[in-house]
Amino acid sequence: MSNFSASRIRLSLTSYLNVAAHQTQQHQQPQCAQRDRDINLALAAMRLFLSLLSLAGVLFTPTSASSDYHEQLNLRPLHPSLLLASFNFQSNTSLASFEQQNFRYFPRSLGQILQHANTRELHLRFSLGRWDAESWGARPWGGAREGGTGVELWAWVEAESDEEADGRWLTLTNALSGLFCASLNFIDSTRTIRPVMSFEPVGDHSNTTISDLHLLHGTLPREVVCTENLTPFLKLLPCKGKAGISSLLDGHKLFDASWQSMSIDVQPICEAGSNNCQLQITQTIDMVLDIQRSKRPRDNPIPRPVAESELKCDTSKEYHSHDTCFPLDAAAQEEEWSLAHIFGHSLKGTCPLADESTDPVCIDVPHARHVYASEGAHEHKDESGYKRCFSLAPDKEFEMILPEQEISEKAPLEQPLLYAERSFIGYGQESGGVQAILTNPSLTDSVDFVYMETLPWFMKLYLHTLKAKINGLDEDIIKEMYYRPALDRKRGTQLEVRAIIPANSTVVLTYDFEKAILRYTEYPPDANRGFDVAPAVITIGNIAIRTTSLLLPLPTPDFSMPYNVIILTSTVMALSFGFIFNLLVRRFVALDEADQWDVRAVRLKALAALKRLASRFGKGVKVEKKE
Amino acid sequence: MKLFNLLRLPAVLAVMLAAPVAVTAEHTSNWAVLVSTSRFWFNYRHLANVLSLYRTVKRLGIPDSQIILMLPDDMACNPRNAFPGTVYSNADRAVDLYGDNIEVDYRGYEVTVENFIRLLTDRVGEEMPRSKRLLTDDRSNILVYMTGHGGNEFLKFQDAEEISAFDLADAFEQMWEKKRYHELLFMIDTCQANTMYSKFYSPNIIATGSSEIDQSSYSHHADNDVGVAVIDRYTYYNLDFLETQVREPSSKQTLADLFDSYDESKIHSHPGVRWDLFPGGEQAGRERLVMDFFGNVQNVEVDSTAGNATEFEEDLLALGKKIAEIRERAERQEADERNASLPEPLHSTHTTRKLRATKVEADNRSWGKTAVGVLALSGCSLVWWLGSQMDSPA
Repeated sequence: MSNFSASRIRLSLTSYLNVAAHQTQQHQQPQCAQRDRDINLALAAMRLFLSLLSLAGVLFTPTSASSDYHEQLNLRPLHPSLLLASFNFQSNTSLASFEQQNFRYFPRSLGQILQHANTRELHLRFSLGRWDAESWGARPWGGAREGGTGVELWAWVEAESDEEADGRWLTLTNALSGLFCASLNFIDSTRTIRPVMSFEPVGDHSNTTISDLHLLHGTLPREVVCTENLTPFLKLLPCKGKAGISSLLDGHKLFDASWQSMSIDVQPICEAGSNNCQLQITQTIDMVLDIQRSKRPRDNPIPRPVAESELKCDTSKEYHSHDTCFPLDAAAQEEEWSLAHIFGHSLKGTCPLADESTDPVCIDVPHARHVYASEGAHEHKDESGYKRCFSLAPDKEFEMILPEQEISEKAPLEQPLLYAERSFIGYGQESGGVQAILTNPSLTDSVDFVYMETLPWFMKLYLHTLKAKINGLDEDIIKEMYYRPALDRKRGTQLEVRAIIPANSTVVLTYDFEKAILRYTEYPPDANRGFDVAPAVITIGNIAIRTTSLLLPLPTPDFSMPYNVIILTSTVMALSFGFIFNLLVRRFVALDEADQWDVRAVRLKALAALKRLASRFGKGVKVEKKE
Repeated sequence: MKLFNLLRLPAVLAVMLAAPVAVTAEHTSNWAVLVSTSRFWFNYRHLANVLSLYRTVKRLGIPDSQIILMLPDDMACNPRNAFPGTVYSNADRAVDLYGDNIEVDYRGYEVTVENFIRLLTDRVGEEMPRSKRLLTDDRSNILVYMTGHGGNEFLKFQDAEEISAFDLADAFEQMWEKKRYHELLFMIDTCQANTMYSKFYSPNIIATGSSEIDQSSYSHHADNDVGVAVIDRYTYYNLDFLETQVREPSSKQTLADLFDSYDESKIHSHPGVRWDLFPGGEQAGRERLVMDFFGNVQNVEVDSTAGNATEFEEDLLALGKKIAEIRERAERQEADERNASLPEPLHSTHTTRKLRATKVEADNRSWGKTAVGVLALSGCSLVWWLGSQMDSPA
């Protein structure tokens, strides 16, 4: 019996956005029986959304235990031949024991930083790649656990004034930079904003503290994400990547993914109407792995031509022969894979600290798909028909094999609320434009969203050029707008636009900007690569969608220019000095006067004068001698 | 004469007392500063050089907390890398240098001359995390390894700036003045490397480089699947020695063994060693163990003479009392603050928040403004036209 089966999930569907699934305790089971029908109805609509949020249900439910730890791996094959693996780790500690520095499952290194920087809620993201919403459907966790390309950090810092909040933010970013081996210290005033409409606190904060909380947000779109970021991430886990599902995490596979996102969320969770608060840390890793690519041996990953005998040919073609081959259509054929293929090795038992009521491994495939698990594991099939979970034997390795299988039934893809893309338009070195295309695929519901841009200071936005077109027509869909203009070298532009997209329509937001010219020393060493512009964040209720980052080419000088300048100025100096010197010391005369000024004439005259002088003195001397 | 000797006795005694301390004045911690200064994919080998040194010192016992690793570019997760998450320093690809457990302290644009000198001299802001600081003292032995592209008395950082031999010498002098090292081994692999240590003037430094002035340093070999050269010759033969001769932390190999192992015909340049700054010169320096710089030692100094258990317990008790006292005081202070801050909420609701984005209001009167503008403009042109009419009859 799965812990995530419908009979134990109480669902409250406040809106289509606000899904909170609560897992009831085992002894409460009889009370839930009557709700089953409604639940099943709701589940039919929300099944896929829940497939990932089901664990979130556990997360949002305040548990009475003072300290606990859950972990779960969710696998979902995506078309074509891709696999989404979502790792989720979550632990709680009571706020009281946290304040006494009794951390238990909460990582001490992070806890002390949070205390030192007076941070009440923290969200940190490391992401790479692009989520292909057209073919992969809605994002895992509805986009709530993902960040823009690079590093994104936002936090609620408790402080009495803006200056104090800035100081604590500086402390926080620097400390996190040391902990996670990332250049988070580069989140300075030019990259920090205070969003107004986007980002709401996820945790429960008391009314007295919430007035003192400052939301700060920073992004580093250029930051690379690599093994040195995964190492500290794993060290925060109670089982440190040695046992449990975290033992599958390997930098070599994670950073080979088509898309990946690591997240850390820390937030206080309080029971309604009581002071019994818990501090919750949720760590997730989501990655989209290419099954065929993962199956390549690690020491020889470079694709080489396949031997003739291994080619898969469509033998039904009439021209098929020993020297002609039409590749077989593999779409109907499900790929064969196993955990060891995908992650490099099988799962090393369960984490002994994890709560046993949560099944550690789940997979979203139709029940018709064969899944062979290793001995000791128990399979729990979900009633929805597309999900099954496994409980593992504690000390045994766990392996799961999905054989090659011809199957027409596929787990349905959940449609995202919004498709978003953003690109540069315009031409030239000095100005340009940005165009964001937002499509609402729903046929019935309009979407109310907040579009947030944080632009670097050297990309100067012209607000009056901001236009929104809906299905190609000018229409006033912008409901509210917040703007903070950039100051050179001090802060970036912040723009938040709230608008509504009607059902089944496309909105195109455009604006123009001007590029600033940087000072020579402000260019990075690889200036010709371009400058990364952080992704736009589109908030729809508690779901966030991010566009990809942009690469802005700025006019870059030829970096040998200073030497050219030195050489050129020296030449100009020499030339002008020569002219002026000549003008000063020479006299320019007409040709017929030249004889008068001939140097030889002057010399002769001087010589004559000297002779005269000499003769006079000579006489004088003679006279003296005579006398 | 006798009186004079008698007067000298205390001094002699003092020297005798001090002597054992001087003899046992060994280092009590080991640190490594490993710097690659080259960006861009084709400089893969410089990062591989540094990472192989990183693996070596880690193997010989220096913990990550005492290694400062500076990598100016991302090779492991570079899109050009056919082996994601790995860096290899040999075409046989036997050892993945990036591995599963690595801590890079300074990376990307953080690797600058300024940050490097600030690191050495510890001139950093108070917000700088401990993992990015060189927390050494006068009993720390430091290995400083640098690699990149250089020339006569300079080393390029990221193709954008340079550190000169003079800057480096002054930084080391400042370290010495601040008692930030006990002994320092400086090792550099770049073109004309020996010129980089020629300006050093601080004591207790042994310096070695890969090539003389006007000599290039060469790469060792390339890996065709990685697509670029994977290691430099000088570093390759250093590693060769460290891997084959210094197999465990108890190794007694000396620096002499290391430096004598250099074969110029293999390295293709003339490696140099500078001993003159080291007390005792070449002779003393040659006897230093390789492990004094590349490994971690656990030399412990005990200040007092063999303390007994009761003394220790007494100390513990006193410490416990002190902690209790401090805690009590803190609690009292906290209570006081709480009492004092009771009327605070009124004040705290006034938290100043001015650094916010402002709301952009739609301008509903823009037509009116346009009309005013058109009127003003036409008025002006009317005046101008009248004026020109007045002029023209004349």
